[in-house]
Amino acid sequence: MGIFEIIMDYLVIIFAHNPFAPWIRGVLGGLVIGAVFAGALVMVYLERKFLGDMQSRIGPNRVGRFGVLQLIADAIKLFTKEDIIPAKADKWLFIGAPIVALTSGFLMVAVIPFDLLVIKGEEYAVAVSRMDISILYLEAVSGLAIFATFMAGWGSSNKYAVLAAFRNVAKMIGYEIPLGITIISVAVMAHSLDIVEIVEAQSSIWFIIAQPLGFVVFFIALLADVGRIPFDQTEAEEELVAGWATEYSGMRWGLAFFAEYLHAVVGSFIVALIFLGGWNGLPIVGNLYIPGIFWVIAKVIIVMMLFIWIRAALPRYRIDQVIDIGWKVLIPLALLNLVWSTIIGLMWA
Amino acid sequence: MTHEATQITSPPKPSEILLHLGPQHPLQPGPFLLDLKIEGETIREAELKIGYIHKGMEKVFEDRTYLQILPLTDRICYLASNSNNDVYCRGVEELLGIEPTERAKYLRVLTNELCRLQSHLLGIGEYATDVGFLTMFIYMVREREGVVSLLEAITGSRLNHNYARFGGVANDLPPGYKDMALKTLSELKKQVKSHDAMMSSDSIYLRRTKGVGVLTAKEAGELGVAGPPLRATGVEYDLRRMEPYLVYDDLDFKVITQNDGDVFSRVKVRLLEILESIYIVEQCLDQMPSGPYKQDVTPYITRPKPGEVYARIEDPRGEMGMYIISDGSDKPYRFRIRGPAFATAQALPPLLVGGYVADVAAIAASMDSCTSEVDR
Repeated sequence: MGIFEIIMDYLVIIFAHNPFAPWIRGVLGGLVIGAVFAGALVMVYLERKFLGDMQSRIGPNRVGRFGVLQLIADAIKLFTKEDIIPAKADKWLFIGAPIVALTSGFLMVAVIPFDLLVIKGEEYAVAVSRMDISILYLEAVSGLAIFATFMAGWGSSNKYAVLAAFRNVAKMIGYEIPLGITIISVAVMAHSLDIVEIVEAQSSIWFIIAQPLGFVVFFIALLADVGRIPFDQTEAEEELVAGWATEYSGMRWGLAFFAEYLHAVVGSFIVALIFLGGWNGLPIVGNLYIPGIFWVIAKVIIVMMLFIWIRAALPRYRIDQVIDIGWKVLIPLALLNLVWSTIIGLMWA
Repeated sequence: MTHEATQITSPPKPSEILLHLGPQHPLQPGPFLLDLKIEGETIREAELKIGYIHKGMEKVFEDRTYLQILPLTDRICYLASNSNNDVYCRGVEELLGIEPTERAKYLRVLTNELCRLQSHLLGIGEYATDVGFLTMFIYMVREREGVVSLLEAITGSRLNHNYARFGGVANDLPPGYKDMALKTLSELKKQVKSHDAMMSSDSIYLRRTKGVGVLTAKEAGELGVAGPPLRATGVEYDLRRMEPYLVYDDLDFKVITQNDGDVFSRVKVRLLEILESIYIVEQCLDQMPSGPYKQDVTPYITRPKPGEVYARIEDPRGEMGMYIISDGSDKPYRFRIRGPAFATAQALPPLLVGGYVADVAAIAASMDSCTSEVDR
């Protein structure tokens, strides 16, 4: 134990008890953002490879070993392409939309914790920032993404883009509500709006077991929120060409595309943290010490795989059916789950 | 079915927009322009404009000798090249007053059915992507690969086969073909059954396709629609059964029908027809007599006696007819093609009216029209 304790002592001195600690923590925060950024890249790669396997294709295999460098090749391609802004587009809305989309993604990353270290009775969350209301903040900031799609759709003055933007707003209004209600149910059960405390509340029982209905509702609403099959009506290629991103090209399109994956990755993190127990490991490993960060990443990758699996297995809903499901099925179920979690939460208290 | 239902009659009101789907759009197999007047997501009026790749084939044919026309018939629609060859050859054979040999008839039926298999497989695949089901497209293309290889083994090419000849076919089966074909087809049968089960049970798929784009038997008749879209309305209309050409009389097969006339039924008809075609191919391979695969003497310069003929065939997409008038020279005096895809294309706008924008892709792909043939 000795060496472990000494290392921890040094860590505490480095990160907390010296005059440079804020700067060091800032660098660490940057690393965390970088990790989520890398997570989005991993998801793009996984999507190509894993989806390819499911569809009996090979996927990228030429650039680098197993095609791992394909993303770099794509990024170079996107950077070197001509930047086209349509003559009739509303220039500032058009330029601003991908930036807003990406900003909303990065703002979400700020409160995502990877682990909670308890050293000498003091708690240190491995996160850019720890807030008392972090789950509420996440929900609020993720709502900003709608503005990006609507700005892009309206600003490009393209009929397909406008239709896609309308669809997206209609869909979001229907799906942010069940998403919010399930988050409230989780908060009620954990007696906190802080993600770190929500994860700590799952140390005995994960919320996927305590409120399975909530998990199902949350997951479906999240799929719609990040716009993945079967809820990808906003970029349904055969109907609306490329949806709200129809007029985008080059790196602007790349940013919009990346923001979408960033949202999917952050969504996977939220599922892993508030339903799958976060850094609470499974007891199968016995006494072996596994850092909490490993559990978080493993769970996030499982959720990502689930996203990709669903994409491979299902066709797309029609937009009116999507809105039907949101209002007539998910919201009542979310309310039912709120009642359930309130009762269980009170019993636990 | 009135003419007005296929045209946009007035400019859009302030609450409506005119959406031009095409001439280039991801849903299309080839260029055409589909103008939709939409209010929100609902289609109020629709109009189809064709002619972007018009090739003037009928006129070209009148300036070619009968033998020169033969490879060009492939290009009417590359997914039905074999049936186009076949119907053209049957027309000219009737004018010449000759009959293909018995073995050649079986070979033509065999290749026609293989052609139908690959056309249906690709048709269902393209349709599957249009309802957002990319995986099924890749499965269908994978299955189709085996069928295309079977055709390649006989005819030497994968798409434009140019296989039928006046009074026979170009060449005989390669050695060991029967085993190879039976192996591929039994695998295909297994896969298609499993895909059928998947496409009949998936709840999202059913919600997207049941009761969407309903074509009634009466409308289909008025618009000249034949083939799978007509059989999906419950009409048992199949030229292979009604007017048996070649050796279809000696073969056992069912005419597949469904009753609803919607998107689901049209695709279901194609899926079941794949199984039926496999059965026909298996019978052909069993019953095929030995003997010559072409006439001993085929005239190098074909000069039929003056007269006219209309030959028709059950194409993968419907009824393909060719009307040829001969004036005794080595070139046809008049050539007219009646294509199945043209009829299915003109049935598209009335089906869209009242539906949603999202249904356009599903309905258009389920009609399985072919722009190349529409604009022949």
